[in-house]
Amino acid sequence: MKGNKARWAGVAILSLFIICAVLAPWIAPHDPWEFGPAFLHPSTTNLLGTNDVGQDIFSELLYGARISLLVGFAAALISVSLGTMIGLVAGFRKGIIDDLLMGVTDVFLVMPMLPLAILVSVYLGPSIWNLILVIGLLWWPSTARVIRSQVLIIRESGYVESARALGAGDLWIMRRHVLPNVLPLLMAKFVLTVAVAMLMEASLSFLGLGDPIAKSWGIMLRYAFLRGGFVGGMWWWYVPPGLAIGLCISSLTLISLSVEEKSDPRLKRVLER
Amino acid sequence: MSLNFLLPRLMPGDPVVNILGEEASYAPTEVLEELKAEWGLDGPLYVQYFRYLGNYLSGDWGHSFLSMRPVSEAIGLHLRWTLALVLPAIILGALLATIAGALAAWYRKSKLDVGFSAAFLSFYSMPHYWLAMVLLFVFGFLLGWFPLGKVTTGDTSGLAYVADVAWHMVLPLSLLTVSKAAYDFLVVRNSVISICGEDYVLMAQAKGLSQMAVLFKHAVRNALAPLVTVTAIQFGAILSGTLMVEIVFSWPGMGTMIYEAIGARDYPVLQGAFFIIAVCMLAANFIADVIYVWLDPRTR
Repeated sequence: MKGNKARWAGVAILSLFIICAVLAPWIAPHDPWEFGPAFLHPSTTNLLGTNDVGQDIFSELLYGARISLLVGFAAALISVSLGTMIGLVAGFRKGIIDDLLMGVTDVFLVMPMLPLAILVSVYLGPSIWNLILVIGLLWWPSTARVIRSQVLIIRESGYVESARALGAGDLWIMRRHVLPNVLPLLMAKFVLTVAVAMLMEASLSFLGLGDPIAKSWGIMLRYAFLRGGFVGGMWWWYVPPGLAIGLCISSLTLISLSVEEKSDPRLKRVLER
Repeated sequence: MSLNFLLPRLMPGDPVVNILGEEASYAPTEVLEELKAEWGLDGPLYVQYFRYLGNYLSGDWGHSFLSMRPVSEAIGLHLRWTLALVLPAIILGALLATIAGALAAWYRKSKLDVGFSAAFLSFYSMPHYWLAMVLLFVFGFLLGWFPLGKVTTGDTSGLAYVADVAWHMVLPLSLLTVSKAAYDFLVVRNSVISICGEDYVLMAQAKGLSQMAVLFKHAVRNALAPLVTVTAIQFGAILSGTLMVEIVFSWPGMGTMIYEAIGARDYPVLQGAFFIIAVCMLAANFIADVIYVWLDPRTR
């Protein structure tokens, strides 16, 4: 991978989507909840036509960026913080606490995530906040594993030992030595988790587990599939939301790869060789 | 499995009322009590738990709310169609990734390498079910080369039946194969790159073997172990992708079953499906361990 160029491409695409999400109410040509003539083809007034109840698809797409990005970032924040805490404690405390936490982590790691998320969401009922919670609370195990293994390396290093000899407490060592060392890795993991969470939102919403009146890309795809957009060959209805998801995920993956590369020079050598 | 037991009981309120929804308010109390007994929701929690475990282990997974048939029967019917997609996809995908990854590693930084990397990365980023929709639109609707869904067109038997199913499988299977390859591509590529500097690869080159013989006989063979590990880790993701793709192709597998069960809030079917998928994951991990040892004699 051409580190720098790829990263900036990723940042540029992602910023574009974030700008769309923030400015949606001002740049959207129509109110995406406003009913009108249904199944219109793309035209100058409705850039991407209208859906089954006459809502403007282009405006839906802009507003959809809000929910899709919100779910992605919020869920990733929950899961990465949870994973970091569990990984830090497990790596630092060793012994029984470590065994217990890693036992739970391993059980979660071998569980099929999508079916589990479906099961929990069905019980919780369809809503955006439940979606965020479910994704956030299920996706921490890989972060916990990665952070723990890093902590295990760092805690044996010379500078941590000297800090300990000087009488530093666990909390201080964690804040001063361990966290700064795992930070780049955490960033990479966070960005990647945002991507995973966005894909998961798209899947769960498509299955009907998102808020049915909210506008997200997954929900747009659901209605396009369910209400004749797909069977009717209206590609302008279902192709744009899918492309938007794909572009967002690609840019997040590019950013994550380059951050990881920066944090681990060995990886850079492998990627460049 | 214990999670399956806990979930409905952790929800606030009466589980029976939760499951029945609004209709519970119309039902007389005796009916509610009877339903509780039928679903094993009476008695203290630990009694419920052991009864639940016993039932699950003896194959009694409850009845579907939707079709009233036993859950195990419904799953048995659908599981084979899902496996019919997943297993070939894993094997073909690993093959594709090995060839593409090895070539990309050998000609690294060439146009081929960059092209493969970009193609697989973008494939990796798209929701599988959306790709399925696009594929179906182009090859099914526009070009009419392939059927629009399901596994057969109807009354065929023998060889004609097999051919018919194979024809229906082309689109979903190729989609899943490529997405599996997208997961594996970088792993194979990086693993071959790290092996290319080894002495035995130089030795093979020095012996005057052809480039491709060195690559595929010496380098790739040793790069396969990580691929097996990754396949076990990614098995859940592949399976999930298959479930979503099935819905678009109306493929009568677990995904379509889960989709219908979500619409009808058919909890026993969803729990059974989750249980059997978790068992498949464990099986995949076990098989991966066996293959790993077979591939890498050093771990014996």
